[in-house]
Amino acid sequence: MSDVLLDCQAIVKVFPGVRALDGVGLRLTAGSVHALLGENGAGKSTLIKVLTGVHTPDSGRLLWCGREVRPRSPLEATRTGIGVVHQERNLIPGFSVAENITLQSPPSHRGLIDRAAMTDPALRCLGELGLDLDPDRPVRELSVAQQQLVEIAKALYTESRVLLLDEPTASLSPREAERLFEVVRRLKARGTCVVFVSHKLEEVFAICDTVTVLRDGASVLESSPLAEHTQDDVVGLMVGRAHAATEMRPREVDTSAPPVLSFDGVSTAAGHRDISLDVRPGEIVGLYGLVGAGRSELVKAMLGLDRVTGGEIRVHGEPVRIASPRQALHRFGIGYLTENRKEEGVFLDQPIARNITVTVWKRLAKALGFVSAREERDVAHDLVERLGIRIAGLERHAGELSGGNQQKVSLAKWLAADTRLLIVDEPTVGVDVRTKHAFHELIWELARDGLPILLISSDLAEMVTLADRVVVMADHRIRGEVDNDRDYERMSGRIIRIIHDRATSAVRPREVEA
Amino acid sequence: MTTPVIPPGSDTRSTRATPSRPAHRLPFWVNQRLGLLVLVVGLSALFGVVQPTFLDERLVLFPLVRDVSTLTVVALAQMVVLSVGHMNLAVGRMAAFGALFAGLGYDRLGLPLPLGLLLCLCAGAAIGALTGWIITRTGVSSFVVTLAMDFALLGLVSLLYSALTENAAFTTKPSGLAELRSYSLADICVGPVCGSPVIPQLAQFTVLALLGLGFLYGATRIGRELLLTGANPAAAELSGIPTGRRVILAHTLSGLLAALAGFMAAVSTGTFRASIGDDFMLPSFLGSVLGGTLLTGGVVSVVGALLGTALVGVIRKGLDLLGVGLESLNVYLGCVLLLALSADRVRTVVSHRKVVRST
Repeated sequence: MSDVLLDCQAIVKVFPGVRALDGVGLRLTAGSVHALLGENGAGKSTLIKVLTGVHTPDSGRLLWCGREVRPRSPLEATRTGIGVVHQERNLIPGFSVAENITLQSPPSHRGLIDRAAMTDPALRCLGELGLDLDPDRPVRELSVAQQQLVEIAKALYTESRVLLLDEPTASLSPREAERLFEVVRRLKARGTCVVFVSHKLEEVFAICDTVTVLRDGASVLESSPLAEHTQDDVVGLMVGRAHAATEMRPREVDTSAPPVLSFDGVSTAAGHRDISLDVRPGEIVGLYGLVGAGRSELVKAMLGLDRVTGGEIRVHGEPVRIASPRQALHRFGIGYLTENRKEEGVFLDQPIARNITVTVWKRLAKALGFVSAREERDVAHDLVERLGIRIAGLERHAGELSGGNQQKVSLAKWLAADTRLLIVDEPTVGVDVRTKHAFHELIWELARDGLPILLISSDLAEMVTLADRVVVMADHRIRGEVDNDRDYERMSGRIIRIIHDRATSAVRPREVEA
Repeated sequence: MTTPVIPPGSDTRSTRATPSRPAHRLPFWVNQRLGLLVLVVGLSALFGVVQPTFLDERLVLFPLVRDVSTLTVVALAQMVVLSVGHMNLAVGRMAAFGALFAGLGYDRLGLPLPLGLLLCLCAGAAIGALTGWIITRTGVSSFVVTLAMDFALLGLVSLLYSALTENAAFTTKPSGLAELRSYSLADICVGPVCGSPVIPQLAQFTVLALLGLGFLYGATRIGRELLLTGANPAAAELSGIPTGRRVILAHTLSGLLAALAGFMAAVSTGTFRASIGDDFMLPSFLGSVLGGTLLTGGVVSVVGALLGTALVGVIRKGLDLLGVGLESLNVYLGCVLLLALSADRVRTVVSHRKVVRST
C-alpha cells in the first residue's frame, strides 16, 4: 500500500492579499481513492491548480515517485502523469470522441494526424472503463455524464496515474453517478490514484479510502484513512470549531413588522418551484444551500434577468414584476451584491470612484446629464471612509485592490444608492479572515439600522454569525427553515440534515427536465 | 443568546487609510496623448525642414488638415462603439449611406445645404440605431452584424445610385457647398484680423464632434454608462445600467458620426458618389486605437482620436512628399502603429508592476 505516487509537502501559494494555500500536505498512493474535502474557499481549487501546473507554488515540494517535480503548465503535468477532470467540461464539442481522447498526442504519420489510427486507442481506453461509446460521434451529441466519462478516458490515454475529479457528480443523476463510481473502482483496480473532490459526504464515504481536509488554506487532516472517521468528524474539521461563528451582539427584530420583500409560491424559468420567503425590516434572512442549489438564480429571476413563471413577489406589500436590475434599483431600491466579484461586481479597469457612484449618477445628474466630478468624488470619498476601504486614490483602478477591498467597493455602490433592501451573495468568498470579519460587522450594522438583508452564503459559520433565520434551499426548492439559535454545532447539524435528507432521495426535478 | 463579544466596527476603523494623492504616479512619458502630440509636432517640423514644400499652406497643409478633419470624425465614429466594447465594420458604408441622402436631398428636393446635412445625419443615425437594435435583440456579436450591414449597404447604396442618377453620382450643388469646400479660416475676418489659411471651414464639424463627445464622455451620466457597459456588461447590467439602450445609443452615434464624415468627404471631393467611405474602415481603427481607445471597451480618448488621425495623416503626407512609394509608406505606417500600441502595453505593465510591488 505504501506505493506513494505523489507527495506534496508544505505547499504555499500566495495571491495578493490572501494566503490561498498555507503549508498544505497531500500524499497520494497508487490504487486508492483519495477524498479532498473543504468548504468553499478552503483552497481545494488552488491546490488542484498547483498539482496540474496552472499555478506554481511559492514554496513547498512536489515529489513524484520520490523525485521532485515542478509542473509549470497543464501540459507538463499531463506528461508527468497527473490528469484532471474539471467541473466545467474541457472537451472540444465539434471533435469526435476519438479525437478528443487522443487530443494531447494524436497518433500521427509523417507529421500528419492519422485519423484511422485514433479509433483503436480510443476504443481501448473506453473499453478499459467499461464504456460503450461510438468513437466517431461528435462530443456535443453526448450527455453531460457521457462527456465526463470521455474526459476520464482522455486521462487514461495520457496514462495519468493520478486523476483529479473536481465535483464530478455535481451535475449527474444518481444513476449516472453510480456509473461513474463503477469507473472509479476500475481505475483504482488498475493502480491509478483517483482524487475525489466533492461536497456530498455520502459519496465520499461510499468510495474513498483516504481523506485530506483543507480549511483556510491549510490541511487540517492529512491523508488519513477514511475508516477512522465519521461524517460528523469530517464536517467538524471542514468548518473548524475554533473559528466557527463569531458571536454578534443580539439585535432586536420586530417580527410583527410587515415584510419588505416576500416571495409567495414563486416559480421561475430557471427551475424554481414554490418558493416562499419573507424578509422584514432589520432582519437578516440567510439563504443557505450547496453550490448549484439555485439561490443566485432565484435572485436574478426576481431582478428580471430570468422569467418568473408563477407565484407572486411583493415589495412592501405591493405585487411586482421587476423588469430589470435598473428598475429594481431606481423604483424599488433593491441592491444586489453579486457573487462573482470579478465578473459581475466590480469594473476592474475603471476608477474606484466610478465603481462606487455608478448607482447614483442618475441622482447626481443635472441639465444635459452633467455629473459634477467633484460631487462624484465626494460621494465616493464618504463611502471609502465609512467602509474603511484601503485605497491609494479614487482615480486608481479597482483591479489594483485586494479581493476584500474590491468587495467593499462593490458594496459601497449599493450603500451610495441608499437601497431599501440589500441582497448579499457570498460576500466573503476569497477574502481573508480579517476582512471577512469586518464585512460581517458591516452587514450586522446595516441590519441594526433597519435595512432588510437577504444573505446568500455557502458558509455555515457565516450564516450562524449573521442570519436571524436560515432558509435552506436545494435543487431549486426550499427544503426547510431554521431559526438561528447561535449555537454553531446544533445549527450546522440541523441544516446539513435538511440538505442531506433530500440530496440522496430519488431523481431530482431539474434533471428530469433536461 | 450568550454574551456579546465584539463591539461592531472596533478594529476596522482604526486602520483605515485616508484616500490621498496617488501613492505612485506613472512617469509622464507613458502618457499616450502627450507622446502623440510630441510626435505629430516633431514629425511636422522634421518634414518641414527636410522638405520645405510640406509647409506650403495652400497646397499641402490645407488639404492635409481637411483630410485629417474628416478622418477624425471617422475615428470618433469607431470610438463610440469601441467604448461599449463593440465594433463598427460598416463605418465606411454608413458614411456612403448618409452622403447618399444628402445628395438626394440636394438633387431631387432642392434642399439648402444645412437641411441636406440634417437629412444625411438622420439617415446615418437611423441605420446606426437599426444596427444597434439588431445586436441587442439577437445577441449576435457586433463584428458579425456590422460586417453583414457593410455588405447590405454596399449593395443598397450602389443600387440606389444607379437607379437615381445617370453617372452614379449626384452633381447638383447647393449654394455654399463650394465655399464650404475651399474656404478656410482666412476667409473669416473680424475687422483686420483673419484666421489661419491652414484650417478649412469644414473643420468646424470636427470641432463640434470633438466637443460634443468630450462633454459626453468627460462629464455626463450617459458617457460614464457607455464606458461601464464596455468595461463589464454583466456588472453594468446588475448595477442598474440599461446596457441594451446604451449599446443602441453607441451605434446610433456611430452611424451619425459616420454620416457626418461621409458628408465631409463628399464636400471635400465635390460629388456625392457610392465610393465615399470606401477607405474609412482601417483609418477608423487606426485613429481611435492610436489615440488610446481600448479595443476591449471601457476606455476612450476623444483628443486621442484627433491626435492619432493627425499622426497618420502627417506621416502619410510627409513620406509622400519625400517621394516614398505607397508600398514602403504602408510599411512605415505599420511600424508606427505597432510602436504606438506597444507603448500602451508598456504603460499597462509598468503600472501593474508598481501595484504588485506596493502590496
